[in-house]
Amino acid sequence: MMDNKTFIIAGIIVALLIGVVAVFMASGDPDGLESTALVVQGQKQLTGATPPDVEIKEDMTGKFSYTAPMPDYSLGESMGTMGGSIAIIGGTILAFLVVLGLACAIKFAVKPAK
Amino acid sequence: MHIPDAFIPIWQGGIYWIIALVFIALALKWAKNEMNEEKLPLVAVLAAGIFALQSFNLPVSMGTSGHLVGGALAAIILGSPFAAVFILTMVLIVQAILFGDGGITTLGVNIINMGVIGGFVGFYTFKGLKGVTKSMPIAAFVAAWLACVIPACACAVEMFFAGTFPLTEGLLAMGIYHAIIGVIEGVVTVAAIYLITTARPDLVDLGVKTVTGR
Repeated sequence: MMDNKTFIIAGIIVALLIGVVAVFMASGDPDGLESTALVVQGQKQLTGATPPDVEIKEDMTGKFSYTAPMPDYSLGESMGTMGGSIAIIGGTILAFLVVLGLACAIKFAVKPAK
Repeated sequence: MHIPDAFIPIWQGGIYWIIALVFIALALKWAKNEMNEEKLPLVAVLAAGIFALQSFNLPVSMGTSGHLVGGALAAIILGSPFAAVFILTMVLIVQAILFGDGGITTLGVNIINMGVIGGFVGFYTFKGLKGVTKSMPIAAFVAAWLACVIPACACAVEMFFAGTFPLTEGLLAMGIYHAIIGVIEGVVTVAAIYLITTARPDLVDLGVKTVTGR
């Protein structure tokens, strides 16, 4: 049986490998929700392929808008797959640290309410 | 099925946020009471793994792709639907703020769909089927499949309330696409449970499994 340290290291390595492979292998097709949006907007057939260069029409009236620093898990066109890998590796490590940090904070910093 | 800001009016997003906050509070309570020091690394590693797996979009035909959501996985491995809410909330926050995957006003609804609905459907389906079939792979596969399809249908209904999708057409497309994406969810969930229980049988309590060597 693995000890805690080995388990954490092995787990993170597996996660990072999955993330980096994803940068090169992940499908560029829209996901289920985006695909459905294209179908209801009449831009795509339900069971058909997604035509190239289609864009989901968005009505932004009464909607909130926010631009993320690394949209679509990339650092921009010029950085290519290298940028994508950095974004995914950063995100994976951050997800680990945020959850570990919060979990530790809850467990050890917060005094039990009496 | 990360809903972007553009798909839901701000006021509706606010309502979902309020509901989500109730479950987030319960998840924090779970973390405080149920999560012991032994489980802590598992929780954090699962968060990293779910983040990475969510970025891996696999083609599912019909011009569509999909990836693992992970609600069922987190809930089954950690033995509580609130574990899924806890992990998915953190993963979704990182995705929305840094990567624009899912909106900010829609973070609440995304937490409800993938964390709360996914976690509860996954956990209780697994628990029920595990008792009946005594088979981890069958119970976990079905649980994960439902934990993908039911949140997708919920998402279609929310899109109808938002005026973004018509009801039947939205439900049909979301249901069909996620019925296939759910197969990925099922296979990856079973594989991940197998790997984790092999590496650390002491950390996982699947209900009927007898832990040897203790």
